[in-house]
Amino acid sequence: MLSLWRNMTTQERRDAKTGYLALSPWMVGFVIFYAFPILATFYFSLTQWTLVDPPVWIGLDNYVRMFTRDPLFVSSLKATTLFVALSLPLKLVLGLMLALLLNLKIPGMNIFRTVFFIPAVISGVAVSLMWIWFLNPDTGVVNTLLHYVGVQGPYWFWDLNWALPSVAIMSIWKVGGAAIIYLAGLQNIPAHLYEAAEIDGAGKWRRFWRITLPLLTPTLFFQLIIELIDAFKIFTEAFVITKGGPLKATYFFLYYFYEEAFRNFNMGYASALALFLLVVIMGCTVFVYRTSGRWVYYEN
Amino acid sequence: MKLLFNRKTMTLISVLLLLIVSIGGAAAQDPVTITWWTLASAESPEPAIRAVVEAFEAEHPNIKIDVTIMAESAYGDLMNTTIGAGEGAPDIAYFWETPWLPHTLDITDRLEADPDLSRDDYFEEYFNNWAVYNDRVVGLPFTVGANFVMYNKDVFDDAGVDYPTADWTPWDYIEIAKALTDPDKRRWGGDRPRGPFRAIWRNIGATKPYSDDSTTVEGYINGPDAVAAYTWLWDLVDSGATPTPADIEVLGTEGTGPVDLFIAGRLGMATLNNGHMITAANAGVNFGVVPEPHVPGNERFVHAWALRASIWAGTEHPDEAYEFLSFWAGPEGQRINMEIGALMPSLPAVLEDYPDAEADYFQGFMGVLNATQTAEWRATHPCWRGAVIRAVSDAWDLIMLGEIARDEVQATLDAMVEPAQAALEECVPRLGG
Amino acid sequence: MRIDDQALSIQQQLRRSGARRRRQRLVGHALVYAVMIFLALLFMLPIFWMASTSLKLPREIFAWPPEWIPSSPQWGNYAEAFGKYPLGRYMLNSAILVAANIIGGLISVPIIAYGFARFEFPFKHVLFLLMLSTMMVPGHIKLIPMFWLYQKLGLIDTYWPLILPAYFGNPFFIFLMTQFMRTIPRELDDAARIDGAGAWGILFRIIIPLCRPALTVVVVFTFVWVWNDFLEPIIFLRDWDSYPISVGLAFFQGRYSVEWHLFMGATLVSIIPILVVYFFAQKHLIGGLASIGIKG
Repeated sequence: MLSLWRNMTTQERRDAKTGYLALSPWMVGFVIFYAFPILATFYFSLTQWTLVDPPVWIGLDNYVRMFTRDPLFVSSLKATTLFVALSLPLKLVLGLMLALLLNLKIPGMNIFRTVFFIPAVISGVAVSLMWIWFLNPDTGVVNTLLHYVGVQGPYWFWDLNWALPSVAIMSIWKVGGAAIIYLAGLQNIPAHLYEAAEIDGAGKWRRFWRITLPLLTPTLFFQLIIELIDAFKIFTEAFVITKGGPLKATYFFLYYFYEEAFRNFNMGYASALALFLLVVIMGCTVFVYRTSGRWVYYEN
Repeated sequence: MKLLFNRKTMTLISVLLLLIVSIGGAAAQDPVTITWWTLASAESPEPAIRAVVEAFEAEHPNIKIDVTIMAESAYGDLMNTTIGAGEGAPDIAYFWETPWLPHTLDITDRLEADPDLSRDDYFEEYFNNWAVYNDRVVGLPFTVGANFVMYNKDVFDDAGVDYPTADWTPWDYIEIAKALTDPDKRRWGGDRPRGPFRAIWRNIGATKPYSDDSTTVEGYINGPDAVAAYTWLWDLVDSGATPTPADIEVLGTEGTGPVDLFIAGRLGMATLNNGHMITAANAGVNFGVVPEPHVPGNERFVHAWALRASIWAGTEHPDEAYEFLSFWAGPEGQRINMEIGALMPSLPAVLEDYPDAEADYFQGFMGVLNATQTAEWRATHPCWRGAVIRAVSDAWDLIMLGEIARDEVQATLDAMVEPAQAALEECVPRLGG
Repeated sequence: MRIDDQALSIQQQLRRSGARRRRQRLVGHALVYAVMIFLALLFMLPIFWMASTSLKLPREIFAWPPEWIPSSPQWGNYAEAFGKYPLGRYMLNSAILVAANIIGGLISVPIIAYGFARFEFPFKHVLFLLMLSTMMVPGHIKLIPMFWLYQKLGLIDTYWPLILPAYFGNPFFIFLMTQFMRTIPRELDDAARIDGAGAWGILFRIIIPLCRPALTVVVVFTFVWVWNDFLEPIIFLRDWDSYPISVGLAFFQGRYSVEWHLFMGATLVSIIPILVVYFFAQKHLIGGLASIGIKG
């Protein structure tokens, strides 16, 4: 490490010092708010801990159980992965499409921007309770409307095939939050590029593919990672609405973690689960991060 | 110097010093502060909680109550966090999870020595199931809760069906539900149970889901009586006289029951509780109360619960804490909550004064309070709630969804033995028997 | 001269096609409005149902057939909800928490992001990934250690646990801001450097003004998150008068049933401040590089 420092030029060293200085608040926060709890969690994951009695050291037993004889671990991982695969692409594409619409410069757009943002501001429990009602197979709005057009709607949250998509639909309803971030990203595409392309006779479609999309890749990269993390952490919907059912169709990983930690008083095992999820998301993130050099364009 | 310290000044100074000392002495007798965590609810709303504190402090000027009023939905998380961190616990709180109980103060002797309160003042079943753990008194039961069947008289009259009586059987229930169901009015006859091994299970004859020594599930979750109970459930689902799980889950929050459908007149009968009973009465529903159906010859069970109010084992002021606990969860405190909120006290002498005590439905409700409680077993077996129920929930879901045939019930339950046994064996060494 | 000619001919071309373009734009606008209104209605259905529920009597809520517009709207429900719990006070508490968090975010996030976006130093990528990893930790896992720590520091029943983290940079915002700063051309930095600006001068004079859309996102999202945060206030606060609105709303979910009409009404009222702030903040979402005619 020292030799690394020695091999740097004066300018590089000055840059590095400024960089570290800029990062210093985060580093302090990292140690207090993250490193400390994570290290504690790691310790707990090596123990049997009921919360009530002091933790008992059991080495790697929790991890051995997780990987060799826990069918719930496998099924909850499967449900979570399915959810990520279903909701992530939908949210990325629909969020972008909505942002492009909201970016049109026509009168009254600020009202639409507010309207589409509303779903994203209502807190988890209220939204869940409302969707419970909304997708009620009997009296819910959706099935009532379907009934008017002669379609028998599914049982949604209590349908083996529809439970997971129902949760995904809920998350898509909140796409207005993602759209705002796209919208902010769209603002950093210099207007003169569009002007130049228009003069060159490029149509709207072409301008989107040649200018908007490439210059939006830093925002897309951000959204991809954030939505990935978010999707893996799906919890509230299972907690409030489905309780993991039916037949464990929505028994998501974090729901399993929560049940183990606070209902089954198995904090040691729950800690191992939490750390495993951390590693999985981290793996996906590193993968995306590694490939980003090939498809993310930064100005410089 | 002389001018400054003449006799007068000296006297003044000594008087001042005396005053300071005496004030200091008074400070040493400052009131003891007891911290108390509780929940605001319809039965025990914030004004009732404040009134309890006020009344207690008026009676005990040397004790101050520092109350924290919380929302129910995160109370469990908070208690778990506090217990896990081993820091920041209050003197008095609800200890409704069995695994929390090692952190409660044993009040057996204090209650015995109490001239104003005794265990006999409480409903016997409630005291034994919710205040006693391993033969020691770990708290006092605050309020009573119980499940029973509420039936909407208007729906029965409309369908021309006789009201149910206490001697009805589970199969009567299905027949009555069928007779009440009216698809045109979007009306169902009755609801479905919300979990296995509750009262109706035991009433059909099913025993506990695993052996008393917590070693085996074989022959319990898949025993002949359990099969009979699940088959009854299958018949109920098959009858089409009940709302689907989606409707039940959807309308009852936290699985407590479809009170909203019942009030809307779209459910002829529903297994609800005393909280729902008050809601329905306030909404002007014309209804009656009967115990859950049971098979003649079998003992009658009731699914019941109380809020366990306890003292933290680590309290610095056990005497003062007991003073307050016995006030709050004793006759005075529960009466205040009954009068200001709509609490149903766990003391028969106080419950008799309930404003609606003469009402027909209330008499029906009083009838279930002395029945044997399924809780007698559930409350002391954390492994059922936490681990085993999760392993057997697939069988439940399959029947609820109508995914299996009637003669597949036995095989489905047999398939649950292995995961349930594994869950039991994982859990028991951790949480005890 | 040649370039001027070209520009002139392009202008003429544009003028000639002006009328047709205007007509096209009109049709295009109508189409866009139609799509937007349809989508908006779709998105608003649940909100509309909440509003409708908030004006009903308890027994009407689940009646069949459902009533979209209550025949006798119960406006008193709102008064009842606000009379039952001190929701006004709770909204004020939330506003205080939001303000404190926003200030923390606006101070810490641009500085930290600037470090990631503009400087090269050993272990930068590792640190960046570490920062991202802090978002992957489930909130529940941190509860016990953090509760223990705050208890030791005597900060339970104060707002500090709900405010302090913002001053050390929220990883979501740091990431967003870093991505945003990376799209700002370095030529702008260089120009300022030639004018004698130091590293911090460039940040405050050049970069932060150009980050207005991203800073707006910080403000709006902090508002939403702090306003809705439920778990942490429950764990760290004790005083009845200190609760934020999220906790106040939870009181409507009783032991045995939800007071749907009151809960929906109170929830709707509680989001109004967020929407008002967002409505006025969004003009800052539009801007950034798009609005200045720099030549790349």
